[in-house]
Amino acid sequence: MENARMKFYCDESRCIECDGCSIACAEAHELPAGIARRKVITIHEGIPGKEVSTSIACMHCTDAPCEQVCPVDCFYIREDGVVLHDKEKCIGCGYCLYACPFGAPQFPREGIFGSKGAMDKCTMCAGGPLATNSHHEFELYGQNRIAEGKVPVCAAMCSTKALLVGDAESVSNVIRARVAARGGKGFNSYGWDKAYKNQ
Amino acid sequence: MTNSFGDIQNAKSIFIIGCNPAVNHPVGFGHILKAKERNNAKIIVIDPRFTKSAAKADYFAQIRPGTDIPFVYGMLHIIFKNGWEDKKYIEDRVYGMDEIRAEAAKWTPQVVADVTGVSAETLMEITTVYAKNSPGTLLWAMGLTQHTIGTGNTRIAPILQMALGYMGKAGGGTNILRGHDNVQGATDMGCLSDTLPGYYGLVEGSWKYYARMWGVEYDYIKSQFKDASWMGKPGFTLARWWAGVLAGKPGEDAIENAGTNLKALVVMGCGITSTSQNLKIQQGLDNLELLVIADPFVNEAAILTNRKDNLFILPSATQFESSGTVSATNRSAQWRYKVVEPLYESKADQDIMFELAKRLGFYEEYTRSMMMRLKSDGHLEMTPDKKTFQWPEDATIEISRTLRTIGMMGWTPERIKKHTDNWHMFDEITGAGKGDMKGEYYGLPWPCWSVKHGGTPNLYNVDVPVSEGGMGFRNNFGLEKDGVSLLSGKGSAPIGSKVDGGYPEITKENIEKLIGRTLSAAEKDLCGANWKTCTSGKLVDLALEAGLTPYGNAKARAVVWNFPDRIPLHREPLYSPRPDLVEKYPTYADKANHFRVTTKYATIQKEKDYTKEFPIVMTTGRLVTMMGAGLENRASKYICALTPEMFCDIHPELAQKNGIKNGHMMWVHSPAGTKIKVKAKYSYTVLPGMVFLPFHFGGFMQGVDMTGNFPAGTKPYASGECANTVVSYGYDIITQIPASKAGLCRVEKA
Repeated sequence: MENARMKFYCDESRCIECDGCSIACAEAHELPAGIARRKVITIHEGIPGKEVSTSIACMHCTDAPCEQVCPVDCFYIREDGVVLHDKEKCIGCGYCLYACPFGAPQFPREGIFGSKGAMDKCTMCAGGPLATNSHHEFELYGQNRIAEGKVPVCAAMCSTKALLVGDAESVSNVIRARVAARGGKGFNSYGWDKAYKNQ
Repeated sequence: MTNSFGDIQNAKSIFIIGCNPAVNHPVGFGHILKAKERNNAKIIVIDPRFTKSAAKADYFAQIRPGTDIPFVYGMLHIIFKNGWEDKKYIEDRVYGMDEIRAEAAKWTPQVVADVTGVSAETLMEITTVYAKNSPGTLLWAMGLTQHTIGTGNTRIAPILQMALGYMGKAGGGTNILRGHDNVQGATDMGCLSDTLPGYYGLVEGSWKYYARMWGVEYDYIKSQFKDASWMGKPGFTLARWWAGVLAGKPGEDAIENAGTNLKALVVMGCGITSTSQNLKIQQGLDNLELLVIADPFVNEAAILTNRKDNLFILPSATQFESSGTVSATNRSAQWRYKVVEPLYESKADQDIMFELAKRLGFYEEYTRSMMMRLKSDGHLEMTPDKKTFQWPEDATIEISRTLRTIGMMGWTPERIKKHTDNWHMFDEITGAGKGDMKGEYYGLPWPCWSVKHGGTPNLYNVDVPVSEGGMGFRNNFGLEKDGVSLLSGKGSAPIGSKVDGGYPEITKENIEKLIGRTLSAAEKDLCGANWKTCTSGKLVDLALEAGLTPYGNAKARAVVWNFPDRIPLHREPLYSPRPDLVEKYPTYADKANHFRVTTKYATIQKEKDYTKEFPIVMTTGRLVTMMGAGLENRASKYICALTPEMFCDIHPELAQKNGIKNGHMMWVHSPAGTKIKVKAKYSYTVLPGMVFLPFHFGGFMQGVDMTGNFPAGTKPYASGECANTVVSYGYDIITQIPASKAGLCRVEKA
C-alpha cells in the first residue's frame, strides 16, 4: 500500500471568510501576535459576480520550493508529504519566503530594527522534529494533533467545510462528489495546481 | 423559525431578506450552500449591501433600507398578475388575502423601482425564479425587524410564503434566524414585558394558572403589584427602559408608570450598551439610584456611565460553568452539561437570582414549584420527603408541566439529555431519529405535545398526522370575523384527522363533539377548561388520539384587524432619505403609553427635511468575528487582531467627495445631534449614497475615551465607538424594537 499524501484544499464555492480557520489555528498553537500561519483573503470584495474568498497557509507542496532554497537545510519532508522545518537550525534568512508561491513563511520581528527570528509556518498540526507532544515541541511548533489522530484544527473548525485536509484520495473523493453535484462546475481552489502539480 | 437549518437543504429556492447568514450564522450557512450544491437551489439575496451571503447568491437586489414591504408587494403584484399564486392554499388556509391583492395591485414594478431602487427587470427575474422553484424557503433576521414598520415587514414575508403555498412544507416556511445562542429559549421563557412564560397573556386567567403552577396564592402575586390593574399592563422594554428613568426632564417623553420613575436597574448577561440611542442609555445609567450588572466580562454599561456610586459589578458564570436546556433557532432543545465549577467568586445566574430572592424575602415562593410534583389528576402537591430541589432538572420539569401553549409537555430532562448524548443518531436534514429515537426529531422541536410525542420539525404541515408533527394554523382569534369563517377549509386538516377541515381550539366543552364520542365521568374529571390549562394532559391526549391539533385548525390571518395597519403597509422611515415619498407613505401618529412610554412617529418625521443636513443613508449590522455588544469577543486577542478597530464601510466615491482617505479617521453625525469618530474603510459593498457601521464596539462615547473606567486588568484588547450612538430615535409600532437599520447621517473628515 502506498503512503498517504496529505493535502489541503479550500473550496471557494463554500468559503465565506468567516475566519474560523485562522482564529482556531492561532488559538490552538498559541501563536504570538503578528504571526498568521493561516489567512483568509477576499478579492474583489463587494463586486457582484467577482468576489471570491479563500483560506491560505503553507500548502505542503510537492517538491517544496522552500526546502530547495534553504541555505541551512532546515526543512524536512515527512513520508506523508507534510513539509516541516527545524526552528533551531533556521537562521531566519527569509529565502524560503521568496521561494514560496503562497507567502506562507512568517517571521517574528524582534528588537528595535525588526530583525527576523526563526521562521514559523503551518505544520499541518504535525508539530516538529522534537519529541512528539513534548512541552518543547509545543513551544516551538504548537500542537501535534496528527500524532493524536486528530484532524488539523483549521479544517476541523471550518464552518462550511470549505477547507479540507487529509490524504489526497480522501480529499479528491469529497471534491469529486461536490463537483459532480454542481454539474461538473466549481472545481476551484487557489493554489491546488501550483502546489501539487497534479501529483 | 417554522422549519430548521437542516430542512433548508430541501428547498429549491432560498429567499434571504434582511439577514446575512454567511456572516451571522456561518455554520448554518453551510446548509444553504449544500442546498445550492445538492439540490440546485437558487439563492436570492435582498439587502442594502453586497454581503458575504450575496457573494454566494445566484440573484441579488440592492434595496434601499426600509423598503422591504414595497419589494415584496412588487413580487406579489407579479405573482397575482400571472396567476402564480397557490389558489387552493389561499382559499383553504388564509384569511384576508383579497386585501393583500388589492394593495399589491398598486405596486407596479415601476413604482417599486422608484421606492426601493431595484429595477423592474431585477424584480421580475427574482419573482419568476422564486415562484417557479418550489418549494422556496424565506429567511430573515434583524434587517426586517429593526424598523418602525418592523412588524409589517415580518407579516409581509409569511404572506408571500402563503401566497405561493410555501408555508407548512419541508423545504419551505419562514426561517427567522435567531441572533445567538438560546434567544429562542429566552423568548419562550417570557423574557419580555408583555407576556408570562410560554406566551401566556397578561390576563387574570393566565395569572391564576401561573399561581396554581407556582404553588402560590393568586392574592399573593396580586399583593406584589401596586394594584391589580398593573398585572395586565406591559412593562418597559430593553429598547426604552431609560425613558422610564429620564421622564420629567426637558425634552424627554412622558411615561405612564404609576407616578414614579425607574430607580434601579439589574442587568444580567445583556449588552445594553448596544441597542440604540446610546447617549440616552448613558444618561439613563447616570440617573439611576442603583445599577447592578452581572456578566462574565465587565459589561460596558459600567464603563459608559459617569456615576461614581451605587454601581455593582457581579461576576457571573459562563455557559461552561452551568447546565440546563438551551433552545436552538428551530425550537429544539439541547442539554448543556457543566464543564467546570464556576471559577473564582463567580456564580451561575440562577444562584445570583436565588440570593436576590432571599434578600427580598420570597425565596421560598420563588422555588416552591421545584419542590412539588404533578399528580396524574393534574393537581400539584408537595413532593413527600423532598428536602431540596435538584438544579436544573427540577426547573426543566416545572417548565415542561407549565408551558403548555407552545407544547413543552414532552420536554423532560431525561428525553433532552438522551437526544444530546445521541446526537449522531439523527438525520442531518430532517432531524429524524434512528434506533431508540425512531419517531422523534432532534431536540424535540416544540410543540412536543406529550412525553410520547416526537416533536414538530416543520410547523403548519398538514401532510403528516399531528402525532408525527403535523398541525394546522392556530385558532387564536375567534371563529369568524365580519361573517367570514376563520377556520380552515375542508380537506386542509392534518392527515388522519377526525375532523376534515377547520375546528376551534380544544376545550372541555367541545372535545366530545370533535372526537365523536362520549367521555366517561372519570375522563371528564381529568379535563381542564381548555388544552392550555388542562394540567392532566387529558385534553391534549384525546385530541392527539383523534388526529386533532390541540390549538385547533384555523386560517392564517393576512389581515390583522386589531393592528394599526390591517395589512402590512409601506411607511417611510422617520428619517427618510426620500422626503418626496413621505407624504404618500407617512409614518404613524405618535403613540402614547407604548410600553409605558409616549413614542413619537409623525412628530419626528414631519419636523423637517433631514436630507439637507444628513444626506447619507446609514445602516448597521454585525461582523463575523463578533456578536452583540462584543464584550467577550473583544477579550480575545486573536479576534481583535482581525478586527482591531471600529470602522465605517464607505464607498470610495462618497469618501473622496468628503475628503476622507482610506484608513483615516472620520466623523459620522446623526440627526439626533450625536457623533462618532471612526476609521474609514473603503468598500464596494455599499452604494455611494450610504455607509455601514458595525455595532460591536464600545468604550468610546462621541470621541471621548471612557476605557479608563475599566477596573484594572479588565480592559478588552479592542475598544471603539459604538454605532448605536448615532442610531437615532425610532421604534417599531408594535414591539418597540429600535429602528436601527434605516437611518440618516452626515460624514466628514476628522
